[in-house]
Amino acid sequence: MSKVEGTPITKGAIISTKLNTNESIIEFLKKAMDKKVFDAVLVPVRVPAGDSFAYVLIEDKSLLKDAAPLSPIMSVQGAKAISGMTKLGKGNMKIGAVMRPCEIRATVELTKINQTNLENITLISMDCPGVMPISDFLKDPEKSMKIYEDAVKRSDDKIMRPVCQICDKSSMVSGDLHIGTLGAKKGTFFIVSNSQKGNEVMNKLGIELKDNVDDWRNKVQDVFEEKHKKREKSHKDLKAKTTGLDNLINTFSKCINCHNCMKVCPICYCRLCYFDSDKVKHTSEDYLDQAERKGSIRFLPDTLLFHMGRMMHMSLSCVSCGSCEDACPMSIPVAQIFSMVADETQDLFDYVSGRSLDEPIPLVGYKEDELHEMEDAK
Amino acid sequence: MTMKIGVYICECGPNISEKVDIDKVIDAVSSMSDVAVVDRYKLLCSSDGKKFLEEEIKKHGLTHLVVSACSPKQHEKTFMEVCENAGINPYLFQIVNIREQCAWITEDKDEATEKAIRLTKAAIRRVRYHAPLEKKEIECNTDVLVIGGGIAGIEASLQLVSANRKVYLVEKTQSIGGLLTNFEKTFPDMQPSSALINQKIQSLNNNENIKVFTDSEVEEVLGFFGNFEIKVKKKAEEEPIEFDVGAVVVATGSNIFDPKKTPQYGYGKFDNVINSLEFEKMNLSGKISLKNGKIPKSVAIIHCVGRNEKKYCSEICCMYSLKFVRYLTNKIPDVKVSNFYSDLCLPGKSYQKFYEQTKGNTDFVRSMDVKITEKDGKLNIEYKDETGKKSDLSVDMVILSSAIEPTSDASKLAEIIGMSQGDGGFFAEEHEKLGPVSTSTEGVYVVGSSQDPKSISETMVQSEAAAGEILSSLVPGKKIEPEVKVSHISESLCTGCKTCLSVCSYGVITFNEEKKISVVNEAICRGCGNCAAACPSGAATIKHFTFDQIYQELMEAVK
Amino acid sequence: MTKALKINKNIEQGILEFLKLLLKNGKVKGVFTLKKINDEGSIAYSLITEPEELNNAVPFYPLMPVNAGKLLSRFTLKGSTKEPVVAVVKPCELRGFVELIKREQGSLENLFIISSTCGGVYPTNMAVDGTIEKNLSKYWDAVKKAEIPAEIRPACKGCVEFIPYTADITVDLIGKKDIDKQFTMLLNTKKGEELAEVIKGEFLEKDLDKETLDKFRDKRKAEEKKLFEKIDSEMKGISGLVDIFGKCIGCHGCMRVCPICYCKLCEFESPDSEYSPSSYESEVKKRGGVRVPQGVLYYQLGRLTHVGISCVGCGACDDVCPVDIPLATIFKKVGESVQKMFNYIPGKDVDEPLPLVTFEKEEFSEVEK
Repeated sequence: MSKVEGTPITKGAIISTKLNTNESIIEFLKKAMDKKVFDAVLVPVRVPAGDSFAYVLIEDKSLLKDAAPLSPIMSVQGAKAISGMTKLGKGNMKIGAVMRPCEIRATVELTKINQTNLENITLISMDCPGVMPISDFLKDPEKSMKIYEDAVKRSDDKIMRPVCQICDKSSMVSGDLHIGTLGAKKGTFFIVSNSQKGNEVMNKLGIELKDNVDDWRNKVQDVFEEKHKKREKSHKDLKAKTTGLDNLINTFSKCINCHNCMKVCPICYCRLCYFDSDKVKHTSEDYLDQAERKGSIRFLPDTLLFHMGRMMHMSLSCVSCGSCEDACPMSIPVAQIFSMVADETQDLFDYVSGRSLDEPIPLVGYKEDELHEMEDAK
Repeated sequence: MTMKIGVYICECGPNISEKVDIDKVIDAVSSMSDVAVVDRYKLLCSSDGKKFLEEEIKKHGLTHLVVSACSPKQHEKTFMEVCENAGINPYLFQIVNIREQCAWITEDKDEATEKAIRLTKAAIRRVRYHAPLEKKEIECNTDVLVIGGGIAGIEASLQLVSANRKVYLVEKTQSIGGLLTNFEKTFPDMQPSSALINQKIQSLNNNENIKVFTDSEVEEVLGFFGNFEIKVKKKAEEEPIEFDVGAVVVATGSNIFDPKKTPQYGYGKFDNVINSLEFEKMNLSGKISLKNGKIPKSVAIIHCVGRNEKKYCSEICCMYSLKFVRYLTNKIPDVKVSNFYSDLCLPGKSYQKFYEQTKGNTDFVRSMDVKITEKDGKLNIEYKDETGKKSDLSVDMVILSSAIEPTSDASKLAEIIGMSQGDGGFFAEEHEKLGPVSTSTEGVYVVGSSQDPKSISETMVQSEAAAGEILSSLVPGKKIEPEVKVSHISESLCTGCKTCLSVCSYGVITFNEEKKISVVNEAICRGCGNCAAACPSGAATIKHFTFDQIYQELMEAVK
Repeated sequence: MTKALKINKNIEQGILEFLKLLLKNGKVKGVFTLKKINDEGSIAYSLITEPEELNNAVPFYPLMPVNAGKLLSRFTLKGSTKEPVVAVVKPCELRGFVELIKREQGSLENLFIISSTCGGVYPTNMAVDGTIEKNLSKYWDAVKKAEIPAEIRPACKGCVEFIPYTADITVDLIGKKDIDKQFTMLLNTKKGEELAEVIKGEFLEKDLDKETLDKFRDKRKAEEKKLFEKIDSEMKGISGLVDIFGKCIGCHGCMRVCPICYCKLCEFESPDSEYSPSSYESEVKKRGGVRVPQGVLYYQLGRLTHVGISCVGCGACDDVCPVDIPLATIFKKVGESVQKMFNYIPGKDVDEPLPLVTFEKEEFSEVEK
């Protein structure tokens, strides 16, 4: 946690409630709208057909009845929703956005590259139990809702996305406010603030941040250590399976170049991906030349190049949300592989994606004294 | 219009022909599509050779030219001129180096020929994708910006100024003159420094073509040699002052090492331990005294303060220490001065004499592990002598001859101007011997102690040298050609992430807030390619180094 | 009657031998077909220049990892191929390619096309865990009997365009019980005849068996009717559209795998589809709540408008959709209803202009009233 967290948060507010987590958060949002702290809120809402969830910007409180801050799936990565709204500038409405920690981290990363404007947005996260893979959820949406609620109650993550199961940043605070459920006594939850904006919101709501939150911090630390161990082991196993060009080619052999992974990734922000552009469109002579060199080439060639290229472009900002794997029609463990590589590349620079708005992305920072270990690399 | 590529292989009389089977190369490339003619010639760079190429171009109606010969550094410009004279855009040309890269690196003729074939084929394939580019010409600005109003800057300004060359002198503090205004005398002539500096300052103030900005700092330097855009911010004012110059002279001077970093000398701890600059000022004020107002009877001068920490010799401290001895012995007749040193640095024709002529009650103690403590109300110097024997000496005052180091804002200035910092953090000259006052940025010169600790006379040499270089290269009426192979950012593909802006070494990319895209100032872009390499979507591209050109060349080379 | 060549070999071996001979005899420089690309049974289209590499090619495998029409367009996008190449593709892939050629996105010059009467393909996700391999014999049994194999793509189940229109050679598969011993290639064009010269076989004058194929078409039509009726009931009115497309996450995978979608930068990914905060805010004030990001339904309806006229009903969109929206059926239904209005069958005739860009003075008089 000390590596993941910035300045440790020691004080917060303990709120009593008779409602469950989803309902408590909705109540909080309603109060904030009543007091005009927020003009509107951005939160996942069940779609009319009932078989999915989508982010909705809500001004009419009555629409909150179908809201599910802890929705069982992540249909659109929240950072994409924020950037969809604010890429072209800041809005005038004060908006409170509730999303998972990884969605807020991705929002922070996108802000560093000018794809969002957070000026009138308050980012609220919560301790995240994970989300189900969309395909599992869709098998029976009604049933899946119950299965999810049940699993969350029992702190059982076996039904969640593979990367959720090994996520050690599920309580990371990088937005403005955070709802803490871990370590809370029954009938209560914590709220902590991570910024001036967060402090002001709590102030306007008349909630003082003077309670001791050690119970939350300690439980978060416990969960972190457990998940971290699990993550290291999982990455070790995966590395063994994917190391070496042959293994890598085989892992991606079923890829059909649909580029879904790139499209749903919150970090991939290019209007026209390099790998969709003219640069990968070659003449028939070039293709035949390539085919002749090996006697046969896959068509379209360069499948692995796409994945390696994408990895190189976004690895430093990858937040391991797992949206890519959910979107892959060929069940390639894209998220697991990209997360594993991202952990290592971010480690090289002592960087954790989305940890803080003040940390520039290592790619654009030049330090004369760094990466000496690379100098003698064989 | 059909493409007609002419390919010419130079024998380089016979540097290439004796190591590369030119006929084989001709055979290999003749069948490539769009190649209209392939031929060989004894020496293409000769006047006959150039005439031959020109005639060939006209005779065959060639649209593109490929020449396989020597290094582009040698003759790329030559053949580009040939193209221009023959009516082809000079950028529809590609030179192939089959001399330094083939003939001159192996004895194996087959190897050399095989490589020459590959490189030539690759160039032919590349040149197909070349686009004609237009050269631009702008008149250079002959004015000069001098940063720093000390002796270095003042001297450079006086040498440079003339009726058709304005000098802008920018000084951080409220008045010009620099460190010299703190000295009573200068070594080794022991003449009053006021005579030196005041006369210079007066000449400067009387010259209407030198504009002085005090209390000011340079905020922005954009552009290139002959065409710099400068922004200067005066402390009290809101808006920066903007003007254009053709060259920049950096003369920002240096600082004294802070002896607090060497606590063994007791600086800041004990009264009457002072550093060299403080002593100079005290001496200039007219009264050398202790904190309590009394006149010191014994003074120790500790040499090489900070030398181990900085890991270089500051060259002038031994000499100014000897100057201090003279200050003391002249003003306090019966004072005892002890010099604690490990080596004495006395280079050149006059310095040894200066040392030998040191008079008065002075001694030189070769010592190490010097430590200052307080004993019985006086300062006590603990030291080991040459033999290693421990000893100590009690004195009234200690002067620390401290090292010279770069100013604290040197890094900031380096970034603004685009200069490198070398050893010790001083601004780096282009080359120790071949470019002692220029820097790696053309048009930016560095003089004085901002480049390396040095004496006043050496500073004068550098200032005059820099002025000389500028005077000869930045002549009125001279035309400069900005870079043609510059970056271009596609408006439709750019998503405004500013990654290119962050990696641009020359500050030529700005952000258009309205359209939310990055824009390149093509007039001052250097075509380094950082932006194109960093842009993930390929929105930024470099003219003459487009993806297609490089890809085609590469694919053919590795076929 | 069409010229045909009967080859007395098992279809799997025979077709490979034919393709190898085409390479060995220099009739073509490359062969474009499905191939097993690793030991784990991953199958992908490949461009093959070395005859031995054809050993693990599987030209008629019931899988379409990518619509080959898109691939042929990419191959010839920067100019027709200068060297002759033969491609083995399915009828809808060929039709997709023809539709792209009409839009200047490819060229048939120097390209030989071998196709077949098509029994359909399995959804790509069945290739992930080896299910297709397990179902192979069941599949071929059904094809031989001119029946519809269970579990193939819905788009295939309801496809009535299973006979290729513009292939140089059509391999007769559906309803042919003896393809383990022999198979017939219809040589539709002079190009096809030229290719057939390399292999030994019996020359015949023969057409496809109309009776068998008509009965088969009826079966397929019945399936199509079932699919369309189901969709109809789900898609009624705006609320129906909202319901059926509600799950859409905007990944645009359907657009990327669609053979017809050829734009360099899709309109729905361009600055035109980037909305300012003020548009969100004015909408939310009007409606009380607005989905973020916007434009989900707009994208789907927009794409329908853009490609509907040329939709070949291949079903690639279905397979790639991460939230299982029945896109192929929707697009097929809407596409076919538009195509009917112009009596247009996409990909049937490369010289037939696109209705969308052809102006006829006398048409649609019914809407004038």
